[in-house]
Amino acid sequence: MHELLLFASVPVHQHAELLQQLAGLTGMQPRHCFERRLIFKAYRKPGQPNARVGASQDLQKGDLQRVNKMLNGGMFYTQLVGSVQSAHFGAAAADAVAGGAPAAPPADPDTNMDGMDEANPPLPRKSYDFDQQRWSLEFRDIPEAGTRSGVTARVMATAALPAVDVVQLMNAWGYSFVTEYIVEGDMFVQNDTAIYLHRVLHYPTTGDQEIRSPRRQLPNLDQMAPLEKTGSYVLQASITVQDSTNQDAMKTASQHLFALREQLRSAVKLEPADRLALDTRVK
Amino acid sequence: MMSHAECSPPRHTSTPIQVAFEVAPTVPFVTMGDTFNLPLRPHLEKGDHHDTLPAEISQINQQWGSFRDVNEEVLLAKMAEEDAAGGAVESIEEEDENEMTTTERLEELYKKRAEMLQFAMTAHTEATMALDFVSLLLSKWAPRQAESCMSPYLKHAVPLGSIDVDIVNPPPLLDSVAQNSKAVSSGWRLYNFNFASKKLLSAAGRLENEVDIEARYWDSVLEIKEQGWKICRHPREGQTLAVQYGFLEATPVFRNRGLATLRRAHDGTLNLYKGLVPPGSPFVRVSVLRCSTVTGSTTPPASLSDTAKTIHQQILHARDSVFEDELFYELLREAKSMMDCGVTTRHNSIQIPVTDDVEILLELVDAEESLRDEPENAQLDTQLAEGVAYSMRILLSFAHRLNHRRRIRPPAPLASEKPRTPEYHLFRPSLAYLQHVSQARCVESFIHGITGVMRSSGFQLPEYTTEILASLKINQNLPPMTELSALESLMINFLEPIESVFKVNLLTPNSSFTIKMRTNVLEPPYGTHFNVTYDLPAIPDLRSPGNLEMRHEVEAAVTHALLLDIVTKVSSSNKKSSNNMKQWEAIYPHIGELRLPLDYDTYKKMQISLSRDNLTISTNLIHSPGGRGFGEAFQRKKTVESKTWTLRSSDNPNEHSSALDFVAAETA
Repeated sequence: MHELLLFASVPVHQHAELLQQLAGLTGMQPRHCFERRLIFKAYRKPGQPNARVGASQDLQKGDLQRVNKMLNGGMFYTQLVGSVQSAHFGAAAADAVAGGAPAAPPADPDTNMDGMDEANPPLPRKSYDFDQQRWSLEFRDIPEAGTRSGVTARVMATAALPAVDVVQLMNAWGYSFVTEYIVEGDMFVQNDTAIYLHRVLHYPTTGDQEIRSPRRQLPNLDQMAPLEKTGSYVLQASITVQDSTNQDAMKTASQHLFALREQLRSAVKLEPADRLALDTRVK
Repeated sequence: MMSHAECSPPRHTSTPIQVAFEVAPTVPFVTMGDTFNLPLRPHLEKGDHHDTLPAEISQINQQWGSFRDVNEEVLLAKMAEEDAAGGAVESIEEEDENEMTTTERLEELYKKRAEMLQFAMTAHTEATMALDFVSLLLSKWAPRQAESCMSPYLKHAVPLGSIDVDIVNPPPLLDSVAQNSKAVSSGWRLYNFNFASKKLLSAAGRLENEVDIEARYWDSVLEIKEQGWKICRHPREGQTLAVQYGFLEATPVFRNRGLATLRRAHDGTLNLYKGLVPPGSPFVRVSVLRCSTVTGSTTPPASLSDTAKTIHQQILHARDSVFEDELFYELLREAKSMMDCGVTTRHNSIQIPVTDDVEILLELVDAEESLRDEPENAQLDTQLAEGVAYSMRILLSFAHRLNHRRRIRPPAPLASEKPRTPEYHLFRPSLAYLQHVSQARCVESFIHGITGVMRSSGFQLPEYTTEILASLKINQNLPPMTELSALESLMINFLEPIESVFKVNLLTPNSSFTIKMRTNVLEPPYGTHFNVTYDLPAIPDLRSPGNLEMRHEVEAAVTHALLLDIVTKVSSSNKKSSNNMKQWEAIYPHIGELRLPLDYDTYKKMQISLSRDNLTISTNLIHSPGGRGFGEAFQRKKTVESKTWTLRSSDNPNEHSSALDFVAAETA
């Protein structure tokens, strides 16, 4: 899949106003969301064959082949994205609430049939359980070079991960955990375009010790510090295209982005991002 | 100069030629000749030549002034004036004609012509002289322009700019004259002040009026806003306000209709301008037809009557109209997808068969004309029609809600094929419900009938349990869903397959059979499906019929189970009562046949037949020489005695009061 993007920087004083403008433009209320993002770095395991020796029957189609090559080539950073709620911040971990003793591995909510028992509706749980967190793997390529279309275009792929220990899983695939952060933002949808007004929040620093695995619990939201000190936001307008060889679809997507840029011209200036700023290759 | 001024027509100060053309028809030169008047009319060419319209308009503008001052009265007055003048000239001409002979007239004509030429020459000379004088006077200040209109003679004779004017001390005015001019000037000033103050006052008044009008307009707009309507700038007309009353999630054509401009009338009242919308008040009327006769139909709500007065009512009317239009559009779309279920569509109507004799008719009619004579005893069907109408409207709103949910989801990747919007489910749920209830009532009445027959026959059958619409859990506390509101979960509950359960306990202890009915609401297969399960431990090899499609199959299965139960009951009834060895033996229980052996070659055969209306038990005493076998011996058997017990009415009672008595008697 291909992703076409335009970005704009939104100073914090304009944030509230822009939210209202976007709500009016898209005809929907903003969907506030928090995303936990874990960054993994690919590494080449010693002794593992570098490239697949394939014959001609192993040829795969365009994008898929490329994605596969990139994921197996071990050259890219990739990230796991998990959606969390604001109530999860600052809540004690589920294990601690259960009473100190290490609890048995919690069962999958689906196998428990949670929510099916109508007599006892499940209470909204405040505690955050890292093992219950669902993740999806997101891969983003470095944006294409030399496009004349005026939008940032890049290859992307997203896949939901099974409910297992993701760090182990990623290790097994040849990825090591690097760091993590939170993305806070509001999502809007206008026809095919997803408009995401967001900013990156960093976890509070915990001294010198280096974090080697994802946190089991989330700190209070007010302890999170924005990456951009002024607290400004990034407006990202994106359209995904299923088949990048379909020139009509690519053209339509960029036209939709340009139309949006025109509509928002008086508020923000949407423009393609610097290609090297979105570089995901491991140097 | 003075003479020229006297000669020129008194009313106009435009160019001489124009004056002549203009005035000639109305003011004859009476001063030039005493006896003969010749109008200085231009020679009119009656050709094909016409001025172009812009030329004519500018001509009229120059000649008569602006069109703004022209009204009917002015034109009539002008025409009357022209008629009077023209008539006078004509009458004079007629008189002259009578008096003069041809030669005289000719002579007169020449004479007058010469005279006229002379006057014209004089006028021309004087005009030229005046022009020269003015030109010479002006040549001091604007020599170039003045030179262009000087006569060559003057140019030659007098150098340019050789004459000047100056204001010299005027002779002292006489007191009376000074007084007079002072009075006149103060009079003028007074007049002008009055005029200006009047103007200002009228302007102030107009402004005040305008303020009132504007205030009234904005008050109305505010009132609308306070009533909860969304006011916005009209997207196409930048300077106008618009009110949004439509449904954002509707099909685009109806979504765009949901915006009306708020125009200001002359008196400041609000005008709702909806654009090019077909007039009238559309209304989807639901009628119930029994045997092709209307037995009940819905009436339009008050908001759809066209006599809306206030702006709020007008907005409500517009909103309901667009909703009704959309409802019918979506109903048509759904009906077209359900052609295979017997739904027929016409231009403005949809006919849906529900059961064998009941149909539902949906029509798009004008609310004003939709009032129909209420048939008698139509209360129930009117309620049914209203129920269907309400459900359709609720479901359309629910479809809007689902559209909204779909719209705000993260968008799917752009593909070459656009995902098709599925038809809404508007009448399908009602249809499924009605069909299900009708089928359930039929099954219930069948069970009621056949168990009634058994009870009347003396069998102590336990009560059966009925749970119609078991799947609807309206009164239960719905679990709080994370994404769906309680209302939406309720709606979804209604859109799930409808189920009803009948459980009939039998005479034999711990025996029963269960009928489950299920009707799909949203997806095929449509129609009601049955599942019959037997729980008859007495007959271990009996298999349940399982899934059945037709009602008569269900009835057959029910009859079969009850017959088996009666057979089991009869065959086991004597076990307890007596210790003798005589006992009915169920040899063919599935067809209700029992046998009671009496001695070696005689036995009794009992045939039980059960139907919805009757239970018949017949016994035959059969003499079968050579034993109870088959084959040749079977040929020789003969019936010796036959008895029958049938359920009868109380007027004509049986010898035995109940079937079991009959059986007991027969056993003995």
